[in-house]
Amino acid sequence: MSSENIESIVNRRYEHGFVTDIESEGLPPGLNEGVVRAISALKKEPEFMLEWRLQAYRQWLEMREPEWAHLHYPPVKFNEISYYSAPKSDEDRPKSLDEVDPKLLETYDKLGIPLHERARLAGVAVDAVFDSVSVATTFKEKLSDVGVIFCSFSEAVLEHPELVKKYLGSVVPRRDNFYAALNSAVFSDGSFVYIPKGVRCPMELSTYFRINAANTGQFERTLIIADVDSHVSYLEGCTAPMRDENQLHAAVVELVALDGAEIKYSTVQNWYPGDENGVGGIYNFVTKRGDCRGDNSKISWTQVETGSAITWKYPSCLLRGDNSVGEFYSVAVANNMQQADTGTKMIHIGANTSSTIVSKGISAGKAQNAYRGLVKVMPQAHGARNHTQCDSLLIGKECGAHTFPYMEIKNPSARIEHEATTSKISADQLFYCRQRGISEEDAVNMIVNGFCKEVFKELPMEFAVEAQALLNVSLEGAVG
Amino acid sequence: MLEINNLKSRIGDTEILRGLSLSVNAGEVHAIMGPNGSGKSTLAQVIAGHDDYVVTGGEVTFMGKNLLDLEPEERAREGIFLGFQYPVEIPGVNNAYLLKAAVNAKRKHQGLGEVDAFEFLKVAREKMALLGMDPKFLNRGVNEGFSGGEKKRNEILQMAMLEPSLAILDETDSGLDIDALKAVAEGVNTLRAPDRAIVLVTHYQRLLDYIEPDFVHVLSEGQIIRSGDKSLALELEEKGYDWVREAANA
Amino acid sequence: MKQSALSIDDLREAVMRLPDDSLTATREAALASLDEQGFPSIRDEDWKYTDLSSAIDVSNRWLAQGAKTESTDALRKSIKAITASIDAHWLIVANGIVDLTCFGEPADIEVEKFSDSATPFVMDRPLADLNAALLHDGLRVQVHGATEKPLGVLLIDETSGGAGVTQANVDIEVAPGCDAEIIEYQVSSGSEDHYANSVIALQIDQAAHVSYVRIQNRRAGHIQTARLSVALSADARLNMASYDLGGGLVRNDVDIDINEAGADATFNGLFLAGDGQHIDNHTRVEHRVGPASSSQEYRGILNGRCRCVWNGKAIVHKGADGTDANQANHNLLLSDHAEIDAKPELEIYADDVKCSHGTTVGQLDETALFYLRSRGINKRQATQILTHAFAADLVARAPVATAKDAITALVEKRLGELIKEEDL
Repeated sequence: MSSENIESIVNRRYEHGFVTDIESEGLPPGLNEGVVRAISALKKEPEFMLEWRLQAYRQWLEMREPEWAHLHYPPVKFNEISYYSAPKSDEDRPKSLDEVDPKLLETYDKLGIPLHERARLAGVAVDAVFDSVSVATTFKEKLSDVGVIFCSFSEAVLEHPELVKKYLGSVVPRRDNFYAALNSAVFSDGSFVYIPKGVRCPMELSTYFRINAANTGQFERTLIIADVDSHVSYLEGCTAPMRDENQLHAAVVELVALDGAEIKYSTVQNWYPGDENGVGGIYNFVTKRGDCRGDNSKISWTQVETGSAITWKYPSCLLRGDNSVGEFYSVAVANNMQQADTGTKMIHIGANTSSTIVSKGISAGKAQNAYRGLVKVMPQAHGARNHTQCDSLLIGKECGAHTFPYMEIKNPSARIEHEATTSKISADQLFYCRQRGISEEDAVNMIVNGFCKEVFKELPMEFAVEAQALLNVSLEGAVG
Repeated sequence: MLEINNLKSRIGDTEILRGLSLSVNAGEVHAIMGPNGSGKSTLAQVIAGHDDYVVTGGEVTFMGKNLLDLEPEERAREGIFLGFQYPVEIPGVNNAYLLKAAVNAKRKHQGLGEVDAFEFLKVAREKMALLGMDPKFLNRGVNEGFSGGEKKRNEILQMAMLEPSLAILDETDSGLDIDALKAVAEGVNTLRAPDRAIVLVTHYQRLLDYIEPDFVHVLSEGQIIRSGDKSLALELEEKGYDWVREAANA
Repeated sequence: MKQSALSIDDLREAVMRLPDDSLTATREAALASLDEQGFPSIRDEDWKYTDLSSAIDVSNRWLAQGAKTESTDALRKSIKAITASIDAHWLIVANGIVDLTCFGEPADIEVEKFSDSATPFVMDRPLADLNAALLHDGLRVQVHGATEKPLGVLLIDETSGGAGVTQANVDIEVAPGCDAEIIEYQVSSGSEDHYANSVIALQIDQAAHVSYVRIQNRRAGHIQTARLSVALSADARLNMASYDLGGGLVRNDVDIDINEAGADATFNGLFLAGDGQHIDNHTRVEHRVGPASSSQEYRGILNGRCRCVWNGKAIVHKGADGTDANQANHNLLLSDHAEIDAKPELEIYADDVKCSHGTTVGQLDETALFYLRSRGINKRQATQILTHAFAADLVARAPVATAKDAITALVEKRLGELIKEEDL
């Protein structure tokens, strides 16, 4: 059947109210207005949301895939992707851990993932057997006591449409870039957080505790609003490789910090990177942006990126409010055939804004790892400060490490400092450790972790420990 | 303990050790002296197993084992410790972490259980007190931003923690002021033991005022050209290396 | 984004009017290539910050007026003044016409015109194509031995009676083991708009050492695009310093190819920009083999309504082990209307390398200012002293002694214009 036929069927079906028909099947591959309408209808969204999606879709049609990144991959066939798949039925999923790829299990073992967690991560059909539901409920109560809203994006659209209407797309406009437009049209689900005025969120929020989060991976949409003088720390991702069939991921994350508010957003990304020969793996095209909209606000991004075949990701800060602060701490590891093009943008707009960038890139195997960053100081941004430290570590003769920093400075009171170094693990360091009785592999892990320390110390404690273990697993076989 | 017989070694195309022989027994302190470029540091690096140095001839046995067959970390676990002339900085790697990993690697090799963090810190603090080191050093990056004296003291701390059978201290006195030199020397002296041998590699006699050697060897052009007791060091100090060379050639 | 286009038909006519000589075929090939590729636009990553619309505009007017190229009396005077200020064997391209009258007869330098031989030259990008298409004639220079005086390359333009466009192309080879000093001087004057486009290629043979000074002091508002390609053989050494003082829209491309082991390229630059200036320095170092080293430092002082760009790129190819590449760029921004766009890039495909870059944008060191003031120097004077010192450091690094006085005078004069009393 040609794609045109499929499209016409989708459209025809829509006219007859096909919604209930497809709920159990998912949508056929391909993207058109009917599909966008169908997604919205499936989620029983209000009219404003459908309109928003449709406009995004129309804008997307006019846009072209970006080609400037230091990435090489076969073109994504957008018409062969299914933009909505119903939650997997239990029959399709592994029944027990015995059916899961032993390599994956081995990795869990090395990472010290608890047994019940392994099942969840591997997608075993045991969803509700462990405690996360009850845990989540307990947390929800505690949060609602202080007025924090933490729910799935779908829920927010229905329960808090005024907040969604006000803030959705206000940081990452629909047509911001090709992938953001695509996400805006077809996003499946994600997280929504609202911290009311003056509230310090009593716990670290994490996707881990979010119920109703199944199958949100492909086009995730997250919106976090920190009202005046509030504070929140949000953790995203998991530290073990996720089983996932979706090749293309295009998430959008929007953060809004009002006067005096602070948002700390930590990510550990370990999607499937493909095998040693570059077969398989996730294409991860993410738009993450924080808007320091209020005076004295602060947004801090910390990321540890070890997964995905392709990573295209630049968590950014718009420093609009006076005295606002933006931070970006990143560890990006690329091994085997992985390719990463990641970094940040710090846009200084308000007076006396400051930003800090610490990027640690590690390349091994045949991987290509690029840092791409922009520090922009607008003419009115008096007293802007930026310090950027951008270090690359090379392990092996066939990998690449690249640095593409852009500095655009239009105000004379700015103080901008950018430093970058590239080196390999020194033979002296290795010999020193080995002379103390430490094996070469342990020594490499130790040195790499030391190289990343400035970033790890920004992660919440338990995350940091897991991130270190993850790093070691990711670099396995890189030295030999 | 350590038997070196007719050892030859080169780095790149340059031959440095040209048939060196040396025998070191438990409980002894040996000083190896010689002018710059005589091969002193090379000897230390070859014993520790640095792969920049290619061994082209001779044998080295340590407690009856053929040392040249072992990887650097295996030699370390067997009980060989090298105090580096230029201890390398390893940014971000916690000093205590490295030390604990090293101690446990050795214990594992000996079939002993790992020490826990509490026990480890207790011992480390004791040893540091003995060496007059600030316990804060444990939480800093390995040699990161340490002064010359601090680096050398840190080497002695590592030696104290690892309790080697054979410690080779390469130019441990270089770059130290007199106070630091005394502190390091005291540290070494407290580690003298009947079951432990110490080899001091040094350019100057100064260190030997504080650590009294049982034997002094003079190295020149990759060979030991003269051996004696501590009076040899004094004689060298007075007459210079040319004197021994001439005497050897005569 | 609107981008004016070069009128290719007028260009073709201009090319046809050039003398029919051994360069004709090259000119036609270049024209075809330019027609196919088009002029660079700000959509090209390498031209993101520099819009050549004004160069196209000047070119079109010049073409429309009949693409005249001729020497003038005023030009002769300027040449005399410059060649008198710096003692060198001067090769001159005046208004696009090769002139050997100030060259003298150095024993160890051989010169021939492109038209006398079939020298092929670089045509690998649109501006090189434009250069080849419109080139009257170029010079091929071979330096065989150390000469008493430096080799000078003076590219000078003087407009009159309408917009002007000129091309210059010089190809220099420094023989193995030879020490050479080279001065490149680009200057222009006249009342009309002008666009100068040059290509200089420098081959430094095995173990040869080249000291190179570039001075750009074009008239305000004049446009320059200048390309300098340097190729280094085994153990060759380049020590270069460039000084951008004048001009309106200036774009310099310095391409350095390290083709054999043991080479070392050190190149520094100073750019001083005031009202209406746009100075863009793009450098690109290709480390194809190792061990080899490259090091660059560019400094900018910006005052008034101006924009400067510094884009340094180091590429370390696979297998180029033992590469040591450093880039530094420091900028002083003294006005609310000045903009600096800095982009230090590293592309590394080998692991045994040491690469670093550092960029700063800011003002004078507060501590130093305070120190001077605590010694009784007023703030205005202290600012002046420190700004001059910031520039003087790079003047001091001019590797050709003969040119140092001239450079010092030019930099001092330009700084005096840039930093006026009332600014401080």
